[in-house]
Amino acid sequence: MRCEFDSTTGVATLVMQMEGRANKINPTFGEQLNRILDEALASPGLKGILLTSGHKDFCVGADLDFVYRVRDPKAVYEAVGQLNALYRKLETCGKPVVALLTGSALGGGYELALACHRRLALNRPDIQIGLPEVSLGVIPGAGGTQRLPRLIGIQAALMLIAEGKMVRATAAVGQGLLDAVYDTPEALHAAALEYITQSPSAKQPWDRPDFKYPGMHQPDTLDFRQLFAVGGAMLTKRTAGVYAAPEAAISAVYEGTGLTFDAALQVEARYFAARATSDQAKDMIRTFWFHKNAVEKQEGLPRVDESGYRKIGILGAGMMGAGLAFVCAQRGFEVVLKDIRQEALDKAVAHIDEQIAKRAKHASAEERAAIKARIRPTLAIADLAPCDLIIEAVIEDIAIKHAVTREVAAVLGPNAHWASNTSAIPMNDLSPAWRDGRTFIGLHYFSPVEQMPLVEIIVGKDTSDDTLARALAFSREIKKTAIVVNDGYGFYTTRVFSAYIMEAAQLVAQGHDPALVEYAARRAGMVVSPLKVFDEVTLTLAMHAIGTRDKWETQKGTPSGVLEWPGFKLVRALVEQGRTGKAAGAGFYDYTAKPRRLWSGLRALAGGPPPRTGFEYIQQRLMLSQCLEAARCLEEGILRDKRDAEIGAIFGLGFAPNSGGPLAWLDRFGARRAVHLLDDLERELGPRYTAPALLRQMAEKHETFFERI
Amino acid sequence: MANAAYIYDAVRTPRGRGKSSGSLYTVKAVDLLATSLRALMARNGLSESAKSALVDDVSIGCVTQTGEQGACIGRSGVLLADLDESVPAVTLNRFCGSGLEAVNEAAAKVAAGFAELTIGGGVESMSRVAMGSDGGALWDPTFEWRYGTVPQGISADLLATLGGFTRDDVDQFALQSQRKAAAAWERGEFARAVVPVLDMNGVTVLARDEYLRPDTTIESLGKLKAAFEAMGDQFGLDDLARKRYPHVENIRHIHTAGNSSGIVDGSAALLLGNEAIGKSLGLTPRARIRAAVSTGGEPVLMLAEPVSATRKALKKAGMTIGDIDLFEVNEAFAAVPLYFAQQLGVDLDKINVNGGAIALGHPLGATGAMLLGTVLDALERRNLSTGLVTLCIGGGMGIATIIERV
Repeated sequence: MRCEFDSTTGVATLVMQMEGRANKINPTFGEQLNRILDEALASPGLKGILLTSGHKDFCVGADLDFVYRVRDPKAVYEAVGQLNALYRKLETCGKPVVALLTGSALGGGYELALACHRRLALNRPDIQIGLPEVSLGVIPGAGGTQRLPRLIGIQAALMLIAEGKMVRATAAVGQGLLDAVYDTPEALHAAALEYITQSPSAKQPWDRPDFKYPGMHQPDTLDFRQLFAVGGAMLTKRTAGVYAAPEAAISAVYEGTGLTFDAALQVEARYFAARATSDQAKDMIRTFWFHKNAVEKQEGLPRVDESGYRKIGILGAGMMGAGLAFVCAQRGFEVVLKDIRQEALDKAVAHIDEQIAKRAKHASAEERAAIKARIRPTLAIADLAPCDLIIEAVIEDIAIKHAVTREVAAVLGPNAHWASNTSAIPMNDLSPAWRDGRTFIGLHYFSPVEQMPLVEIIVGKDTSDDTLARALAFSREIKKTAIVVNDGYGFYTTRVFSAYIMEAAQLVAQGHDPALVEYAARRAGMVVSPLKVFDEVTLTLAMHAIGTRDKWETQKGTPSGVLEWPGFKLVRALVEQGRTGKAAGAGFYDYTAKPRRLWSGLRALAGGPPPRTGFEYIQQRLMLSQCLEAARCLEEGILRDKRDAEIGAIFGLGFAPNSGGPLAWLDRFGARRAVHLLDDLERELGPRYTAPALLRQMAEKHETFFERI
Repeated sequence: MANAAYIYDAVRTPRGRGKSSGSLYTVKAVDLLATSLRALMARNGLSESAKSALVDDVSIGCVTQTGEQGACIGRSGVLLADLDESVPAVTLNRFCGSGLEAVNEAAAKVAAGFAELTIGGGVESMSRVAMGSDGGALWDPTFEWRYGTVPQGISADLLATLGGFTRDDVDQFALQSQRKAAAAWERGEFARAVVPVLDMNGVTVLARDEYLRPDTTIESLGKLKAAFEAMGDQFGLDDLARKRYPHVENIRHIHTAGNSSGIVDGSAALLLGNEAIGKSLGLTPRARIRAAVSTGGEPVLMLAEPVSATRKALKKAGMTIGDIDLFEVNEAFAAVPLYFAQQLGVDLDKINVNGGAIALGHPLGATGAMLLGTVLDALERRNLSTGLVTLCIGGGMGIATIIERV
């Protein structure tokens, strides 16, 4: 870091440039910033200070290695105390300080900008501003919960902080997060100098004696109290009260408003220390920072710079096919969308038009037209000839997939690759219909594909590293987050998903209260409750999938007896009555009136009463059944890396994000406790709950999946 | 008990609509209180200094203790009502139960032998001092998340859902409250207790409860919107409650402005003392306090406590539910007395015989004292013996007092 003083203008430019590629806040950062600040303040004829970055980003926040590991709240409190003292020094030094954002300022980095008297940025779409700490299980810890409300008003600040929203620089000005944006670095710089030459008061609003909160909510009024009552309730509605960080952030804002500024910072520091040293923060940082970064960088995986695919052929114009066509076209690929029925193609085109209107809102009319023009819907197989990647998304039936594969293979060029979007059928069962196992791969996307970021890439026994590398490149090109798994029925995500919804059906069939089943899932952090999602995927689809699986298992000689499960029989009984799910207006729920209600007829179809029940018991069964599948997939080698277990479950299935993922959940629950409970359940309910040897071993040796933090 | 505690008299002001258009909006809360205190002294020959000085203590309930209801309005009211300056006072807050709490405490001092003559009452000007404007620890979001405290309307709808009451059930109850209140005024049920509020020139400001709507019909009630649906549904308040009641899939929102208590202004005061002081002053005791209890329960549901408070009071008094002739169960929301009747097996005909807060209004700090006076008058007019007054209280508390005519 350095200080560059221009004696003609009296302006000192502080350039933050830590070792490495980003400015991360840690004790060294504080020391260096303090040093160059002192240098500036000692400069004769100093008029003002510019704070800039020598890296791409302005400052991206705390060094998460420290936050991840620290368990001593006192140490955290002291560390943020020092950082706060530095930021206070900056904003009370008596000279105007301007933050020049030529890159993103997030978390502690934006808090640094807040401690400046003016915030100016470049008008670039990749520059992001915000306080996203809650998404990692912590809260802003360098004054964000106290400066932002005093700057833009209590309500506006609450919403941004509690949701951890990131805002583009261009939008940030309208919300008061930045003062202005400029199109060029020169204009930016000139504006900063102009500001300083006007000799503005170098006092923050909150350091002035006449300070008043902007906005309609003033502290200690009925409006103010109701804002927090409603805000607190809406958080509970959104998250079932599972996340401690947004609650802590809201409390820090609430409690700080009545206090002097420096005392308010102490309150924030306590809440920050409590959150940073909590299990939930550790688990969320591990997954959403470390695992997610590694997955997005595709660390340890074969790499090529480009997929080399130009023309994508999509077979099957259902929701998935149509969605995929849009996604690929949006990212510049030519697409041939093939189906056997014109009706399906027409519906797909209508869907694509809708998506273009919705998701390419900011694009120009020309760009939107170009996306549309890249997609060619067709009934003719011959139109697929120029495709270099086929994504097969036809009905989940081996015979049909085989037939389609052979038919299309016949028209393709010699270098074409084949990908199946099957959600469960093993590559090894599908690839024999293709010419070469080395160029056969699974690309399992999630619905709605325009929104769900995950792709589960399945590697068959013969799939080459080159094919995998190109599939990974393709994922980057269409902006999907890829996990890579080995072959096996249901791969990873479908196994976990089926375990979840079937466990719920089992519980209901065994006589447990369906309302408790649904709520227990939400209180564990599951994004969607199981019977609700069951209705959404439809019971018919689930039955079909279970039937296919049973056939496959029987053929291989490893039947799981799923057709005998009370849960399956319940699903079948509902289907027989026409209660096939949300689309039919009736499933586990009744959709005839708002809000939906669990069908009162479920009780009559259920057995019971079960020998034991209760909120905790139900919750443990719902979560353990999923985690059990994750552990099995790891043991069986389906999962190649533990990070994929976590990322796949969370981003593909809405597994409790607060827990960090199924393996982290098991670590917190304890392998020993899990095995004990599974043994009980096995005795009570059969081999579905048999603890895998891996887990038993871990229980004996007191091991965890991840490092104990 | 060392001494029996007797009620010698009970007065109240009429209840004014608790809005800027209400008749008592221009009447300061302290004046409202002084009206009841002055009348209580006058009716019992205690207006002279030497006589009022015999009052050992005054307990006044008041909930929103801020602004002009801040500090100790009880003492201000005592001075303004020209009681001797040697008469102390305390202002207390047990939310909606404050008025009854004040009477209970005043009676307890007599029963304990610590005082001979006391006053218990309450005051609330909801038009001048808005509910909730006093703040409190319970508004802290950490409290909300920890205890799930929700607005009482949500609790009422939850109570109704748990009790199986329908919109029609609560509307029918509301209709009856209106009819009973209107009939009670016609019959002069309130003539003894109600003292008019006068202005500084002696002109009557209000002489009758004005919140009633005697022309209420089941149709007019049916048109009203469920008052707590939006906040429950969209603002997530139902989700707060669900943490404590996980098996309740949906709260059925059925309470409206028409079947919930009215926001009003008013005050009340009761004269309490032991047997000896009554004799020495030539006053005839009207009833004896048999039991005075408070309870606490689950704070989210909040409104079920009249049931536990009643059970506790009966136990303390060595009585059974069948021994009670008349009940006053505060109509905070229609589900409250309905649930009470359901749980204790009490005939609705014995409850709130002269209407209740749905028709008359609920001046928070005063209601409990008003209800005690109401049941006393009703017992006398019907020549019945025992009465029980109970109210549900914010934060999940309950209060109950049993009286027996003498």
